[in-house]
Amino acid sequence: MSVDSARETLYHRGEADMVATIQNTDVKQEDAHGAVVVAVTSRALFGGDDDDDVSGVGVAFPLLQALQRVNQRLLEKDPAESLLFDVVLITTDSQQQQQSSRIVSSTRHHGLEVSRFCFSSQEDFIESLLTNNVQLFLSTDRNEALQASQQGVLSALLDRQGAPSEQLRVMLCGDAVVRPDAGPAPVSRPAAESFSSRLGEMRRRFGALDSPLSIVLVTSSGDRESCGVALRTLRSRGLGVDEAYCLAGAPRSPILSLLRPHFLLGDGVIGLED
Amino acid sequence: MSLSNSLTASGQDLTSSGNRVGWEEASTVLKPSTPTRKSPKPENAITIGVSARVLFNMEKEQHIYEQQGMEEYIKYQVEHETQPFSPGPAFSFVKALEAVNTRLRELYPDSEELFDVVLMTNNHAYVGLRLINTINHHELFIERFCMTGGNSPIGYLKAYHTNLYLSADPVKVREALEEGIAAATMFTPEKMTEVSETQLRVAFDGDAVLFSDESERIYKAHGLDKFFEHEKAHENKLLDHGPLKGFLEALGKLQKKFYAKGQRMDCPIRTYLVTARSAASSGTRALKTLRSWGLEIDEALFLAGAPKGPMLEKIRPHIFFDDQLFHVEGAAEMGTVACHVPYGIAQRVIKRETHDKETSSAPK
Repeated sequence: MSVDSARETLYHRGEADMVATIQNTDVKQEDAHGAVVVAVTSRALFGGDDDDDVSGVGVAFPLLQALQRVNQRLLEKDPAESLLFDVVLITTDSQQQQQSSRIVSSTRHHGLEVSRFCFSSQEDFIESLLTNNVQLFLSTDRNEALQASQQGVLSALLDRQGAPSEQLRVMLCGDAVVRPDAGPAPVSRPAAESFSSRLGEMRRRFGALDSPLSIVLVTSSGDRESCGVALRTLRSRGLGVDEAYCLAGAPRSPILSLLRPHFLLGDGVIGLED
Repeated sequence: MSLSNSLTASGQDLTSSGNRVGWEEASTVLKPSTPTRKSPKPENAITIGVSARVLFNMEKEQHIYEQQGMEEYIKYQVEHETQPFSPGPAFSFVKALEAVNTRLRELYPDSEELFDVVLMTNNHAYVGLRLINTINHHELFIERFCMTGGNSPIGYLKAYHTNLYLSADPVKVREALEEGIAAATMFTPEKMTEVSETQLRVAFDGDAVLFSDESERIYKAHGLDKFFEHEKAHENKLLDHGPLKGFLEALGKLQKKFYAKGQRMDCPIRTYLVTARSAASSGTRALKTLRSWGLEIDEALFLAGAPKGPMLEKIRPHIFFDDQLFHVEGAAEMGTVACHVPYGIAQRVIKRETHDKETSSAPK
């Protein structure tokens, strides 16, 4: 598929900024209601060494592979499954935008199933997220992630990890899950709760053993009681936890290489190394 | 976690990233109404990792896992979430550790040189709430845990400077020993003798536990008499150290803290050496080695080959470590919580037997 022959949807704005979304006709477009839309920046996906024709892969590559594996396993169980991950690639970098066909072909070269490519300016990318109904936005750029989060889009920071796992491992910060009744809720809270619930539903398609995804809860500063509250809170949101670590003040970094999460979900944006 | 600590933490975080105000503020408001003691830093504390199956009695659930599989096991656990487990073989040991901590805090309120008990289980977190409810019910001071959902706990043991790991699973125990962590497989006696609630008592076998297995090899190859001869001849040559030497050392360090405050007679920690060595011949080498290591042992019992069960029944330790299953089983029969240290030459024969006995076990 080339950019020229693809269908394009253009949104014109007053200042002639353009947000362009291209559908990838090679990939089956997910049922809009069933899918969990995950957006990744092309900066995060393509950051490695470049070939002449093809971009090298970056931090987000193992994550996308893991998402694909989950989809495969879901479809194995039920070929008519609609609760699948739907991956959207967002390019805000103007340099990369000029190489849009390279982005598309690199994606295909690496065997990645991206259903839509969005090209927008730095100022407009949040609009892309909203119009594409993105439920989780992943970036290596903290400012991008913060901006999106402040507009209500659940966002997480992708950090470089050690040996990534085949299993999709989502880490939740227990200290952030537990909430007092007073105090302003983060803008992305509703998005976080809805994502948790869909992720939980997806997780329940599989048994305790041999699941292609694992939910990992880490309570860093809280004691066992706050961990218990976090477990109950997540359960009430429809998300069952597979592994739980209550550190009661012990540092998190010694076990990050053992936990091997692909990303960390908290309220606001927290990096793995924070 | 005290309020002041979390305020300090969020104060630092506010300067680094304004966005973090949200959840940091929330965690300060969250402080529980009953003040909880702050857990010591792992590098300062003596960290004891215990698995769920040794801390609590999970025999029924283990049976369900073995007969009906993982899904039924988890279902059962969740259905009985509010039912606390009853104590397991490590329970009284953990309670005694807490009693020592209480005394240490009285004498040294600012010190972090305390026992820190961590629940280290490869149970699935679905069992987590039942475990937390049980810890609450028994009022145990366990604030740290790792529920690895089936993954090996060994990496976590290392990451948090674990000084001793107790599990019902010999495979994990062996893995831990191979990584240089003191570890032992805990057995459940049919009937547990009553132990002290105020004084922690720990009993160790000598060879292949505190000491290396070098002399044990002589015994295995040439018998007890030759062993005694050899030891007498080499009485001034230091033995090499065994896997539990470090733990005895840690206990000794805490004991000295009590002595420093004039509490030698009333020390809440007491250690015992229970060995097949004889006082007349081979015992000297053991004592000299301990002395050269700067370690004291409160009572050394040289049995010259006699069975250990009756002696242990008199001592009533909370825990007894031995490398030979024969002694471990003998002690358990007489009501002592005995742990097997699968180290050294004694394991070569045992390995073949246990391989047949070992069934796949439930998460612990």
